Amino acid sequence: MEEKIITKENLIKLSTDLVNEGFNVIAPSEKGYTLLQTDPLLSLSDSQPLPKSPFKGYLFPKTEPLFYYKKGQHDYEFVDVNLQNVKNIFLAAKPCDAASVNILSKVFNWDYKDEFFDIRADNSLVISMACSTSDEYCFCTSVGLSPVSTKGADLFMIPLAGDKYAIRIVTDKGKSFAEKYSKYFSDGNSVESEKVLAGIKAPEQSFDTAKVKDWLDKNFESEFWNGIAATCLACGQCAFSCPVCHCFDIVDEDYSYKEGRRMKNWDACQFGLFTEHASGHNPRDNQAKRYRQRISHKFKYYKDKFDEVLCTGCGRCTRGCPVSIDIKEIVTEINNLN
Amino acid sequence: MNNLSQIISELLTGGKVTKVIGYVKSGSRSKPFISSKAEDAGKFIMDETCVNNLAVYLTKDEIMKQGKVAVVAKGCDIRAIVALIQENQIKRDDVYIIGVNCQGVKENFDSNVLAAKCTPCKVKTPAVYDVLIEMEKPKSEPSKENKKEEIEKISAMTDAERFEFFEKEFEKCIKCYACRQACPLCYCEQCIADKSVPRWIESSATKRGNMAWNIIRAFHLSGRCIGCNECERVCPQDIPLSLLNKKMSMVAFDEFGYEAGMDMDAPTLTGNYDIKDKEDFIQ
Repeated sequence: MEEKIITKENLIKLSTDLVNEGFNVIAPSEKGYTLLQTDPLLSLSDSQPLPKSPFKGYLFPKTEPLFYYKKGQHDYEFVDVNLQNVKNIFLAAKPCDAASVNILSKVFNWDYKDEFFDIRADNSLVISMACSTSDEYCFCTSVGLSPVSTKGADLFMIPLAGDKYAIRIVTDKGKSFAEKYSKYFSDGNSVESEKVLAGIKAPEQSFDTAKVKDWLDKNFESEFWNGIAATCLACGQCAFSCPVCHCFDIVDEDYSYKEGRRMKNWDACQFGLFTEHASGHNPRDNQAKRYRQRISHKFKYYKDKFDEVLCTGCGRCTRGCPVSIDIKEIVTEINNLN
Repeated sequence: MNNLSQIISELLTGGKVTKVIGYVKSGSRSKPFISSKAEDAGKFIMDETCVNNLAVYLTKDEIMKQGKVAVVAKGCDIRAIVALIQENQIKRDDVYIIGVNCQGVKENFDSNVLAAKCTPCKVKTPAVYDVLIEMEKPKSEPSKENKKEEIEKISAMTDAERFEFFEKEFEKCIKCYACRQACPLCYCEQCIADKSVPRWIESSATKRGNMAWNIIRAFHLSGRCIGCNECERVCPQDIPLSLLNKKMSMVAFDEFGYEAGMDMDAPTLTGNYDIKDKEDFIQ
């Protein structure tokens, strides 16, 4: 992989340039992934903590209008939403967050090409950074990723001694970017960066997704599911803080009798009413069924449909769970059952 | 701890309760645990990490349908149980309360400070219980945060400033409803936020949808909130929900002399009227 070097000083100059050119430069701050123009940059190092929320909201917002409508006397007038001005640069993203872009893109380009996601993703550049802050909740190595994975990244940064960073060019998009801003980069080689990468401690692998999927394929009715996640409160925290959960609800909202908009909002399969039918019947009417769905979607169904595991091992679901339900623990149990 | 395990073991083997709701260790934290097996008795703990309000499980049909349950409960949790009894959601006989002589719990597991709610707590030794246990002495320091002062500062703002303050905070809301789900007093079978025909509260996480949701939840809790602070603790967006809810309970006390969850036999504030109620606001 071609490697460049950028000094910290030049990185700051580059970021300022990008902000001035109208890019949304999104980087980890104390509040999470926020816009560089509003929140100061946390030190760009491999040891900065995982932002509390992923950056999926910039590609798949928590709420967004699909179109606006006005009621005329006999018909409707529709106004489309204009997304052409969006351009994002994700800077120093964690590898588990960078990987989410590829994974999400699959479902948003399945039977319907979701232009709301695609336009944002196409106009985004992901610069990820090697990570050395794994804690007891992280498990990226169990889902085919690692603290130095370049999946989903266009450019990959490795902090070096002396306030500089190695930047590896991963995709063509990344290459074009490096060429456009070449005045900030100098050539590098991988000697020093390889040493840094070798020194990064990765979480120990807890389970094998192939084994887990194999068990899930055959055990929909297993007693294992009885009483699972009994303490779950059915809030949406796990789904909303997950980099790859993507279920959504579509609702129409009126401003007045005559005008309104159609909204696409985050939804969660753990909500009690998620599968309630118009008839009133609810096929997933208890938490055990809903939790079985969560695990199966992430480790079986998504793999069946898109050949991807719908999980990046970031651990946010567990860290933020009000009752500490531990997905790594449960999936490891399944692994060991097999 | 032997005491707690023994109590739980006896309750389950003797068939006095069908299940026990308590806390077990989970890494550096603890988490709620529900068991009907006596052999699980040794797993239960009670220390400064046991922050969850377990009373929230007492309104869930799945958990209550097999019969009487035992629940490990701190003073704040017991206030919730009492409030639920006041509101006829459960009967005193439905629950065996393993009360805790509480010395404080942590909300933030990355710090060594106890929760702000614990410092002014008046129910460290709860008033209602079937058996009382001690907890492991907290290693963390008491909090120096003063919520009342914070609230007074906000009350002193102009209406416009205050509206802007809360609008900014609620903009962060993602409508995950963790606040509602963790709250023992939010037990409506159909929450007004989920009613879609007609839609009363916008479900979208927009500025106005978020204002609507958070303010209406605060209204529905006015005079009912017992101050366990679970809503604020579980909020993934760090919205200071306690400010609004605590303010409303201060109003309930200042204007009507009422505190929820303190007296099982007291009629609820908003579910009752008294001929002597003030009428001076009716112009």
